[in-house]
Amino acid sequence: MAVKKSLLLLLGAALLLGGALPAAAGAPYESYLYNYWGDAVPAPDAYLPDKAVTGCDLGIGSFAEPSDVAVSPAGEVYILDSGNKRIVVLDREYRLRRVLESFDNNGTKDGFQGPSGIYVDGEGLVYVADTAGKRIVVLNAEGQLQRIVDNPQSDILASGFQFLPLKVTADRAGRIYTVAQGVFEGLMQFDEQGRFIGYIGTNKVRRDYREYIWRLFSTDAQRAQGVLFVPTEFSNADADYKGFLYATNIDPNSTVPIKRLNPSGEDVLKRFGYNDVRGDLIYRTSVGPSKMIDIKFIGDGMYSALDATQNRVFTYDDEGHLLYVFGGKGNQLGTLKTPVAVEKLGGDRLVLDRGRASLVVYKPTFYGAAINEAAALHYRGEDAEALGLWRKVLQLNSNFDLAYIGIGKAYLMEKNNKAALDYFKLGSDKKSYSVAYKRYRREMMKEHFGTVLTAAASAAALLAALKLAATWRGRRGRDREANLH
Amino acid sequence: MKQTYIKFPLHLIFHPFDAFWDLKADNRGRLGVAFSALALTALAMVLQKQYAGFLVNNFDPRYMNSLMDILAVVAPFFLWCVANWAVTTLMEGEGKFKEIILASGYSLVPIFLIYLPMIAASRFMVQEETSFYYLFNSIAVAWFLLLLFIGNMTVHQYSVVKTVATMALSVVVMGIIVFLGALVLSMLQQLADFFVNMYRELIYRT
Repeated sequence: MAVKKSLLLLLGAALLLGGALPAAAGAPYESYLYNYWGDAVPAPDAYLPDKAVTGCDLGIGSFAEPSDVAVSPAGEVYILDSGNKRIVVLDREYRLRRVLESFDNNGTKDGFQGPSGIYVDGEGLVYVADTAGKRIVVLNAEGQLQRIVDNPQSDILASGFQFLPLKVTADRAGRIYTVAQGVFEGLMQFDEQGRFIGYIGTNKVRRDYREYIWRLFSTDAQRAQGVLFVPTEFSNADADYKGFLYATNIDPNSTVPIKRLNPSGEDVLKRFGYNDVRGDLIYRTSVGPSKMIDIKFIGDGMYSALDATQNRVFTYDDEGHLLYVFGGKGNQLGTLKTPVAVEKLGGDRLVLDRGRASLVVYKPTFYGAAINEAAALHYRGEDAEALGLWRKVLQLNSNFDLAYIGIGKAYLMEKNNKAALDYFKLGSDKKSYSVAYKRYRREMMKEHFGTVLTAAASAAALLAALKLAATWRGRRGRDREANLH
Repeated sequence: MKQTYIKFPLHLIFHPFDAFWDLKADNRGRLGVAFSALALTALAMVLQKQYAGFLVNNFDPRYMNSLMDILAVVAPFFLWCVANWAVTTLMEGEGKFKEIILASGYSLVPIFLIYLPMIAASRFMVQEETSFYYLFNSIAVAWFLLLLFIGNMTVHQYSVVKTVATMALSVVVMGIIVFLGALVLSMLQQLADFFVNMYRELIYRT
């Protein structure tokens, strides 16, 4: 009896403890997606935190207020350690490669005075926005000075204009785009010689009707004292391989905080998803909507944006469908305190956390990697190859609408219209459903046209015959009554 | 049977001035027809949410509640009849309550006559053709409103302006009825609460 009792106790304890043990390495944040109805639905983790790289780990003293990070095509990670006025370069495995503290400026030793933005272009040139130095410094991969862009001259700049670049990016042609402090006309654009060309992509001012009516009734003096309505500034920009600029702004009420600017400055971002490309759709009013402070073009149409409200990274595909969300507020590995920049190195995503002076490395899970690959294949038009991947994604997350749409598109390519219809319905994609239905309907009509027409013709013939018979019989009856027979 | 249930309502929707007068003067309307029309309209609303084609169906199936859909047709109908009767009685309308129900019920005929086939047709539509779905449904509603207007005018023997005025007033009165109803309900609730609390106080007194 006593043995039985102790066994039972043991079993109970095992059950209790078993429940308390960590099941698997989970993320310290909750992953989710927004569905067709705009609800946040749970999703598997697409990215999991792998490690955090700090200055102490590298043995160079902790980072002080790091403000930006960039990755070179060779896979080197450039961390802009603003407080220490240096650039820390890491290799692919996040080990220290070198530290850039100064450069040779025409024979004199020069350093950064207060840098806040860094970018590395396709040829490995390093662009540093030295805000306090009022200049953009361009170095080559070895840290030798290439040129300095400062003191822009133009008729459209006000006299006494202070050039305070915050963030910088460059396209393949070597044109430099910078987000400058106090400049609300758009991004400042410089040609390859460093001459100021003009502004690109001005944000629009939205009319506030309440303010408008209020102003109608106020005196000139009151109007002069009122707030100025100027466009919001961009917060960051990233050039893609085609020379289009992905730019973010932090206008709190904008439904288009992420823009893709073409060379003439128009927003050409595709927003074909059923929800706005604006990060969180559901938020508490006290916290406010997502505030996008950095953007990174991933490749194959995908881009990741960093939200400073909830410290999350939102990744979208080229058509504006949300792919996955990771990150969050907190002090654990993987959650962020004050994130300032997002980058990618191979499949990894890097987020620079200024608050904890560390670079957090996220690695894709099986689920995340499958989404990345499938979205890339879809972007290249290889839907048939993406089919198997979307199926894998669906096995892990049956709430992922985009996977249903992806499978539907693959079937549509194969002219399997009936199957495509079902999948588009599951993915709530009305536009594609309509296309598939049009084809399916034509197919059905072609197939059954003969049958239907034969049936209709024979029915008509039968009816006519019956009617004829009836009139004939009636006439004969009448004739008989009239004794004509 | 066929005459009252099918032929007359169909005649009415195409010749409303004559038919509404026949309905009033010759006593040709039947409450059974009016309530059948109401039931069919409610059915059309329920079926529309459930069976309209994917491209035109923007209803979240998780919130499907057919009882509420039926109530959303039936309750406003009777509310309208009561409000209209209340207003027209004060404004020298000649219609009796039964005639108001008849006129309103018969006016609903085009709604389900168009809605029901459109539900079936919408399942065979592509995106470009869905505008026809919306067009026909709008026609149904416009037709219903026109019939309601003519019915009201004929039943009460009003001029056009007076009909418009009474109809607008009826809508206002509908709001007032709902407001008073909610008020009474909340008062009764508080009253009940009061007595329940008093009872509790008494039994806990020692």
